[in-house]
Amino acid sequence: MTEAAPSFEGLLHKALSPVEPPEDLGRRLEGALMSLTESAVEELEAWELSAMRDPRNWVRPAAAVIVGGTAGVALVLLRARRRIR
Amino acid sequence: MADQQPQKSKTQLDAEFSELYRAHLRDVYSYAYYRVGNHHDAEDLTEQTFLQAYRHFERAQRESNGRPLRPWLIRIAHNLAANLYRDRSRRPVSPIDDTSELVASHTTEELVEGRDELARVLDGVQRLPDDRREALIMRFALGMDNREIARAMGRSDGATKVLIHRAVKQLEEMVGVSGTGAGND
Repeated sequence: MTEAAPSFEGLLHKALSPVEPPEDLGRRLEGALMSLTESAVEELEAWELSAMRDPRNWVRPAAAVIVGGTAGVALVLLRARRRIR
Repeated sequence: MADQQPQKSKTQLDAEFSELYRAHLRDVYSYAYYRVGNHHDAEDLTEQTFLQAYRHFERAQRESNGRPLRPWLIRIAHNLAANLYRDRSRRPVSPIDDTSELVASHTTEELVEGRDELARVLDGVQRLPDDRREALIMRFALGMDNREIARAMGRSDGATKVLIHRAVKQLEEMVGVSGTGAGND
């Protein structure tokens, strides 16, 4: 009798040994993931194009340009005043 | 700095997911196989697991704080397997009636050594309560440690340690007392 208590876990290791996935599963999965990635990129590009055609979506980028520009001008003015002083 | 990582590019995320996939394809497949008991469903389950993981990968990475993502993957597989059984109401939750296919996945050498013993152990594993069976699959088929199993099962480390200990004890009694059906139900 080799199956004393301490070796029961060894038996469990043997019984539940890892199972190699079939090769075609890997190929199939990689293909599915690839097409998922491609369709996501296409979707994003299509969304960006259609979004920019709608004038309502111009407000945010325009506002960002205005705010950014104003902040830049204010910074230049501040520096110029400091130099004069 | 680790908490405030800048958003990763799509290419970088895809590369990291691809790494995760290669590292754990066998783990997910093994888990699925011992959970559902046949190659066909195990393949479906593995495929669905990775597709779902891909959709939520960015968030999982953010929330993992650098911890391994294997428990997260196994948890997805666990949830999908539960749904599979729920959908197929004709099938019992305790999945496998016939362990011959599971035994068939072993090498000739192992089978010569003790086919009966392996079959009895596998049969016993399938008769364990769900949580105990899952914990044993994670520990012995996937080699996960207590902490990983705890994360996959949403339990504390201590509770997981006790769960595994009890599962091994129960299985040992089931297999030791008589060949099959010695345990519950």
